[in-house]
Amino acid sequence: MGGPQGSGLESTAQILSKAFAYLGYGLISDREYFSNIKGRHSYTHIRISSKNLPTSLTYPVQVVCAMDAETIFTHFQDLEERGSIVYDISALQTKYTAIPSIEPRLRERLRLTFSELGLDGTISSLTRYLKAVKKVRLIGLDYQNIISEVSKKFEILPSQATRYISSIPVGSIVGLTGIGSDAIKYSLESRFPGNQTLIEHNNYIIEQVSKTVREDYGTLYELSRSSIGLEKVLVASGNDIIAMAKIVGGLRFQSYYPITPAADESFTLEKYERLEVEGESLGSLIVTQTEDEIAAIASAIGASLSGVRSSTSTSGPGFSLMVEALGYAGQVEAPVVITYYQRGAPSTGQPTRGAQADLLFTLYASHGEFPRIVLSSGDHLEAFYDTILALNLAEKYQVPVIHLLDKFLANCIATSPLPDLSKVKIERGKLVFEKPDYKRFDLSRPISLRAFLGSNTIQWVAGDEHDEFGHIDEDPVNRKEMYEKRMKKLEIMDSEIPIDYRASYYGPEDAKLLMIGWGFTKGAALEAIEKMKDNVSCAYLHLKMFSPFPTEHVKGLLEKFDPKNIVAVEQNYLAQASKIITQHTGVKVEKAILKYTGRPIYVNELTKALEKVLGGERRVVLEYGA
Amino acid sequence: MVRSPNDYRTDVWVDWCPGCGNFGILAALYKAFAELQLDPTNTVIVSGIGCSGKTPHFVKVNGVHTLHGRAIAFATGIKIANPNLTVIVHGGDGDLMGIGLGHFIALGRKNVDIKVMLHDNRVYGLTKGQASPTLSKGLKTKSLPQANIVNSLNPIALALISGYTFVARGYSMLSEHLKNLIVSAVKHKGSAFIDILQPCITYNNIHTPEYYRKRVYMLEEEGWDPNVREGEAQKTLMNAIQKSLEPDERIPIGIFYRNPYNQTLEEAYGQRTPSYSKTLLPWQKISKEDGSPILDENHFQKLFQEYIVNVKKS
Repeated sequence: MGGPQGSGLESTAQILSKAFAYLGYGLISDREYFSNIKGRHSYTHIRISSKNLPTSLTYPVQVVCAMDAETIFTHFQDLEERGSIVYDISALQTKYTAIPSIEPRLRERLRLTFSELGLDGTISSLTRYLKAVKKVRLIGLDYQNIISEVSKKFEILPSQATRYISSIPVGSIVGLTGIGSDAIKYSLESRFPGNQTLIEHNNYIIEQVSKTVREDYGTLYELSRSSIGLEKVLVASGNDIIAMAKIVGGLRFQSYYPITPAADESFTLEKYERLEVEGESLGSLIVTQTEDEIAAIASAIGASLSGVRSSTSTSGPGFSLMVEALGYAGQVEAPVVITYYQRGAPSTGQPTRGAQADLLFTLYASHGEFPRIVLSSGDHLEAFYDTILALNLAEKYQVPVIHLLDKFLANCIATSPLPDLSKVKIERGKLVFEKPDYKRFDLSRPISLRAFLGSNTIQWVAGDEHDEFGHIDEDPVNRKEMYEKRMKKLEIMDSEIPIDYRASYYGPEDAKLLMIGWGFTKGAALEAIEKMKDNVSCAYLHLKMFSPFPTEHVKGLLEKFDPKNIVAVEQNYLAQASKIITQHTGVKVEKAILKYTGRPIYVNELTKALEKVLGGERRVVLEYGA
Repeated sequence: MVRSPNDYRTDVWVDWCPGCGNFGILAALYKAFAELQLDPTNTVIVSGIGCSGKTPHFVKVNGVHTLHGRAIAFATGIKIANPNLTVIVHGGDGDLMGIGLGHFIALGRKNVDIKVMLHDNRVYGLTKGQASPTLSKGLKTKSLPQANIVNSLNPIALALISGYTFVARGYSMLSEHLKNLIVSAVKHKGSAFIDILQPCITYNNIHTPEYYRKRVYMLEEEGWDPNVREGEAQKTLMNAIQKSLEPDERIPIGIFYRNPYNQTLEEAYGQRTPSYSKTLLPWQKISKEDGSPILDENHFQKLFQEYIVNVKKS
């Protein structure tokens, strides 16, 4: 479903997501958009399943719902043969050259395509071609007419009625899939709680449109009954599920400076600052917007010194500013969690697009050496548990933890099972509340007893090299011992943190081809295993913890494979994770499937790329997606 | 137990240059703490980098020696997480008026109950005497290769327009006067700022004790009233700004402005989230005896109901 940014598509995706979830279907919905408030092309790519909870995206699509002509020009090639296009008939005469928001390179590609196909560049000629050659069903609706009807029926201004335009694609999907009105009503009520007017008006459009579509075209995509069998399902974006996890994990302080695609998480947290459930107070959560990202991490570290679980959320440009304070946290052994949503980089890069190009940066950022944890997550549910793990590990080992995510996960709305909270434990590490002559940096063990500022203790904390009390000390022997005390934590973490938290292997033991990846790549890789299995047996090594790196475990797995059948699958240019693997294990990962367009890796292009790799190609670069 | 100024000393050797203005500041600090009988376990000095940055190591209260320019940002997190702490920031003119200026302004806007002491000697000491943001244009202190080519800024005026609710200037050589300012600042509810004039005997041969002796005068001796009467903050602020703009020929010290009526950020959070004021964040329980989160399955489903879909029974 595509349309201009600001036309309500986000809401459309939410309404449909909940409606399908209500009927027991699994769903993932990716939102792709420009750095723009109103007008530029944005779209939602939705996948619905009756068999599982999808965690990956693929093309072609069966239906394109267009709010405007630009959507058709941008996406007609994403549509399968015999697919359907829902469009506004008033756009028929629109020519692609008349749409200012189409970027020059797409305009040029369209010019070439249309001249090859002998089309005149209007929607009318394009749709005629799609119908004749690709057997596409054209579902033309008169959007203006639908809006004027609503305006008349409810006696509201046409400008007001226009705000409901995003219900037209909802109605057409409802008609095409044949889902019942109860699901839509459930979803609208949950989207607009208590606002009967909005519910009634939107519902009216949805019903009218779905009726027209059903009567004129039939229920073309009737869904089989879901066999998933969950009674309750979570429908949330990555940002939202991480916010929920932070609340469960006992977060009490979150600082942030607004940045895409991280800021939504802090908004969600702030919504819950009172932590009240039916009048019962479970505590309180401070969410503070700071003057910059330096203040964001500095205040999070400050709050941590005061003894509260604290974190900050950001993306690449923000983390770049946090780097000096990251080293401070390492040096003063302050627990802090940085939730890092990667986006297109370097510099401003592609602020609203995704990437996985900051792995090396997070591993090495800040001057000097200090122990840190770098943890990444592959899907929504994994991100939930990892968020709590990050909070626990930060306090247990008194180190900064970088939870490395990406825009793909941040903005995708997905269905997940409810997290199993019986599996969740809070670990705060070694604490002390009263101690005369307290030594914050007691050298008798690598992980000293931690006291909060305001406990019955006095402590000093300094970014300078310090003695056991925290006072500046430049003595070479002290320096050596303090240095080793800190660095020793790397070994301790490596030996104590269970391997399950750090890497997962999917696929048959005796697979022929091994994909290695991390983050959101997981979903596409797991589906590719299924898709490829009749052809070749594939497996996927999902890396989660890059520091401390699970060296022996990864080395053992890699040794089972013929080196020419190991391929890194990553959303960057250098195959960054494969560099880390080589650094730790000495095994060179020679092949790579890479993507750096800012769009996620789709299953359809991944399987094709895997075939190329099997055919001997060493480096395949993906580029699918608008 | 009654604490004397000496009880606030640590054993750490004070390694400032002999005769440094910082000694006057430190002496005033010990005396002020003793007068206030501050509980060392509930007091935190937060500093940045530079000669002033070492202050916490010399004082027997909690000390957090942070990054260049960032002391206020760390202090803000410390204070919001535990509003019961008395939090005092010590920074130099490079620290607070140069690299950390954004945080300085932000603290005024937020009116967090933090006390900021600016060690203002107009040069960067530890890096051998470069011009700081408070050194006037055209002046050539002794280690500068050329005279300073940029204008200085006015810390008092800046604090006033940034929203600090207590703004004062002290002089390190007038220790008793400075002690009184510190006491007043700590007693004030809200963001407080003291610009402390301080000779740097090693690198600043212009702003010497002699320079200040001729110019410094006390506001209170000329009948200055810094106190805002309820509803008259605007008028008092305008007067204070005007006062702060007087040329360097006569330098006023004392309290320029004091407004006890503005809400602090901690109060604002407490108003929005009552449990924040009821139980300090560090002492709020986040897990049960067995380590499971305080927020259980049942809470989860209720709290996050907008994200939970009850699947239709078929």
